[in-house]
Parts: sequence; C-alpha cells; structure tokens
Amino acid sequence: MRALGELSETRYWMYLLLLPSLVMILLVIAYPTLYGMAISFREMRLTRPGLGGWVGFKHYAAMWSDPVFWIALKNTVVWVTAAVVMELALGLLAATALNRDLPGTKIFAVLILLPYFLPNVVAGHMWALLLDPRLGVINDLLVRVGVLQTYKAWFADPNTALAATVLVEAWHGFPFFALLLLAGLKSIPEDLYKAAAVDGAGVSAQLRLITLPMLRTVIAAAVILRVIGLVNSPDLLLILTGGGPGDATQVLSLYAFQTAYKEFNFGYASALSVVMFVILMIFAVAYIRLSRITKGEGDD
Amino acid sequence: MIESKRRRRVIGNIATYFVLATLSMFCIGPMIWMFLTSLKYEADIVTQTMQYIPRRVTFDNYVAIWTQSGFPRLIANSLVVTFLTVTICVATGTLAAYAFSRFAFRGRTQLMLGYLVVRMFPAVMMIIPLYVVMRSVGLVDSRFGLALAYTSFLLPLFVWMLKGFFDSAPRELESAARIDGSTRLGAMVRIVMPLARNGLVASSVFIAIAAWNEFLFALMLTTGQGSRTWPVGLQLMVGEFQLPWGVLAAGGILSILPVIVLFAIVQRTMVQGLTAGAIKG
Repeated sequence: MRALGELSETRYWMYLLLLPSLVMILLVIAYPTLYGMAISFREMRLTRPGLGGWVGFKHYAAMWSDPVFWIALKNTVVWVTAAVVMELALGLLAATALNRDLPGTKIFAVLILLPYFLPNVVAGHMWALLLDPRLGVINDLLVRVGVLQTYKAWFADPNTALAATVLVEAWHGFPFFALLLLAGLKSIPEDLYKAAAVDGAGVSAQLRLITLPMLRTVIAAAVILRVIGLVNSPDLLLILTGGGPGDATQVLSLYAFQTAYKEFNFGYASALSVVMFVILMIFAVAYIRLSRITKGEGDD
Repeated sequence: MIESKRRRRVIGNIATYFVLATLSMFCIGPMIWMFLTSLKYEADIVTQTMQYIPRRVTFDNYVAIWTQSGFPRLIANSLVVTFLTVTICVATGTLAAYAFSRFAFRGRTQLMLGYLVVRMFPAVMMIIPLYVVMRSVGLVDSRFGLALAYTSFLLPLFVWMLKGFFDSAPRELESAARIDGSTRLGAMVRIVMPLARNGLVASSVFIAIAAWNEFLFALMLTTGQGSRTWPVGLQLMVGEFQLPWGVLAAGGILSILPVIVLFAIVQRTMVQGLTAGAIKG
C-alpha cells in the first residue's frame, strides 16, 4: 500500500491509472474492430471451414448488386428518420410539460422515463401482445371507437409493419429525448422568458425565439446519439418482425446480423457492417458540421 | 387583466397535467396490460370478448415460467454475467475516470474522444470478430466471455458517466488532504471516492441494467444452457414452444422487476449523470 502511495507521487501515475481500462479497450474493442475489417476482405463461412482466403473487394462488389442491401439501406433511412422525428416531438412535449414543475411532476417524470430502461425483448413481446391480430387490446379499442372494422395484423401487413415498429421504437426511445431536453430546458435562464413576456412575446414566439435556439446543441447531441443507437441496433426489429414480411422491415444492421447468425457468412456480414459504419461516420461528421457543434459533444 | 392572466395560467396547468397524464399512460399502459395478462387464465386471454379487468386472478403463469422451463437457470446466468461486467468496469473504469477528471496530460483529449467514438461502432461489427476470437480461445458459451464482450460497449460509457461525477466533486478537500501529507492515492481513496459515492453507484447501476437487458451479443455468443441469459432464453422459448401469452407475460414481469427496483432507487442520480455529458457539449 505504501509503495503504491509513493508510486502515486510520480509523474507516471495518471498513465498507470489509465492502463487497466486501456488494456481492456485494446483487447475487446480495438483488436476485434481491426480484425472485423480484415474479415470483410476474406471469405469466412463457419459452415465451410475450408474457405478462408483473401478475396479483396468481392463482398463489397456483391453488395452493389444485392437488391436486399438497397432495400435495407432505404428502410434504415426511413425507419431511423421516422423514429427520431417522432421521439424528438414526443420528447419535446414531455420535457416542456415536465419543466413547468407543477406539483406531482416528479412522479410523472419517473413514469415517463421508465420505458427507456426496459429490455428490448420484453418491450418487443409486450407490444406484439398489444397489437396481436387475434387478441390485441389496441385492435379491440380501435374497433370499439370505430376506426377499424376488424382486427388488423399490423406486423404481417407490409404496408403497416414498418410504421408499427416505429411506434414501438418511439415508445422505447422518446424518454431519452425527454431526459436530455428537460436538462437543456432547465439550463435556460428564467429571466429570458420574463424579458420576452415584457416585450409582448407570446408562447409560440418564446418557443421559436428562445427555447429552440437555446436547445440547439442539446437537440443536436441527442439526435446524433439516437441515430447512432438506432442504426446500430437491430434488436427490436429482430424480435418484432425478423425483417419481414418479405423485406418490408429489413434494415442494414439486421441484415448484417442475420447474415452472420443464420447463414454464418461472416465475410459478407462484416462487409455490410463496415459499410454501415462508414455511412454512419459520414453522417455524423456532416451533421456535426451542419449543426455547428464546434466544441465537440461532451468535450470540456 | 389580472383575471384573464390567472385564467390563462389555470388553463395552462390543466393542459400540462393532461399532457403528462397522457404520456405517462402511453409509457406504463403497456406494462400494466402485460401485468394484467400475467394474472389471467389462458382461457380468459384468448377469449372472444376482451377482458379489461381480469374476472378471476391466478398465479399459475408465474409458477409455470419458474418451474417448467429453465428460467431460474437463465436468471442465475444473467446475474453472474451482470455481476462480472460491473466488476470489470468498476475495477478498470473508476481509475480511468479519475485520471481523466483530475490530471492534465498529453493525449488526454484524443483518448477521451476515442472512448466516445467507440460508441459509434456497430454492434454487429464487434460481434463477428469477437465471436471468432472467443471461439479460438474457448470463451464462447462462457459467462466470463459474455461479460468481456459487454465491456466493449459499457466500459467507455461507464468512464464517461463517472468522469462527470468526479468532475462535480470539489477539489478543495482533496487539496487540503494533500497539504496534510496524504499521497495522491490516499486522497483519491479516502476523499474523492466517498464524495462521488452516489455517482459511482448510479453509473454501476446504469451499466448493470444495460448488461441485464442485453440481447444481441448474448444471442450470438451463447449456445447452450450453461451461459444463456434470460433475454435469449425467453426469446427462444417463444420461438420453440409457442409459449402461452400468460406465461410469457409472467416471465417478462419477473425479469423487469429488478430493473424497475434499481431504477426507482437511483433514478435521480442516474438521470443527473446521463444528462451531464450532453448538456456541457
């Protein structure tokens, strides 16, 4: 203990503190990532161990003429955009309401945040039950109100499957926006609104001229984190639809996962995920440029 | 004038409560419905006329999921994996978060950005090579192997979150201890750690929940009963045995129970830690 104490007085102390986590990260992130990129240039199928050579850009060329890839790319864009827009709108609504700090707000805040911490597996099956074509309570309610004539198989109809999964994702993800936007709202000085009210600005003018500009960085950070999360995680779609019916809800991350998990075609799956990563990087850089977060998110 | 102002505020308050109540219902309504379903007999679930309030209540579904499937085993595996993940993250991440928070050194900014960028790596891009590497060293289908895999995305998150909590612990006490002759290590262990205790707990709970809930890595990296976690087990039960809705709902309720309890206990500190990073940027 004393030796460690003395060690902590040397100028290498901070590097010693960093060492364990750095070793972990090199071991479980850096090495696998580089190895994964290498796999995308190789033939690797677990079902056929004989293959294993380098094939250059073969997988990338195959992707170009793979119709499922293009469908998945289109679906990814639609799915992520729709979900983020819905989550942002709901999150803004929730944050604005919570920010008024009326009595009892704390309980509402806890209830509204809860879905974000629930596992995808439970969220998926819960909504599958709610929207079930035979015994779904949402179908029952909609028929009672008169919106629907008969029960609808939301996830089996190619026209509604993607929209239904967006609804589930919005339920799961909007608390994240509410959380960040509420913190952003709290950091806006009250005086700004008082001054605006004195100058005769109404509610909508205050929203347009104060709230949204002041929230710009928070919104930008929340959107980018959410887009990254949504593009990367196929969990919910895997549980709800498995990409079907047909390829109506097939997205890139799910396509890559199934190529690896079901077909054991690791080479092609790696190539798919590398392309996904590159697209995401380009989006992130462009988005940060556009929204002018000069300091870099979360930086000191 | 004053009268109309007051009326406008009352209307505003009513609208606020309406929005909050509706959103809360949207959030927990599905969970309430799942809970009610878990208490119903299967005959009352698949009935022609929807029963909004169960006419009779049963705990058979809970008994069934607990005794007729490998559910206790799945839960035990999840507990072990979660515990190992949190242990690895706390052991290595606490030191790193402290170094980032308290010292200026060459490469600090780049390293911290690096910890952030790894969050952009697609899960699938990590899963495939991790699977290949772990298979070659015999860590596939091992609870320790799965915990290591979870570290790949939870350790950076943990470091960032905890660094925020360390940042908000005052430096004065630490300086005072140093002047009194304490070493850096002593000041860290005896002064800073106790000050950031709530943050440490909240960050640990956050990654514990994430590890408990994780599905994709577990699906790929576990193949047998020995290490399979509950999300994968539950999902496979649905696929293979056409699990009755009531039993599935009971399983869902049982598995989110620990999440809800932990969330309720530390939610305030956790929310603070989650938002700190994004707001400062």
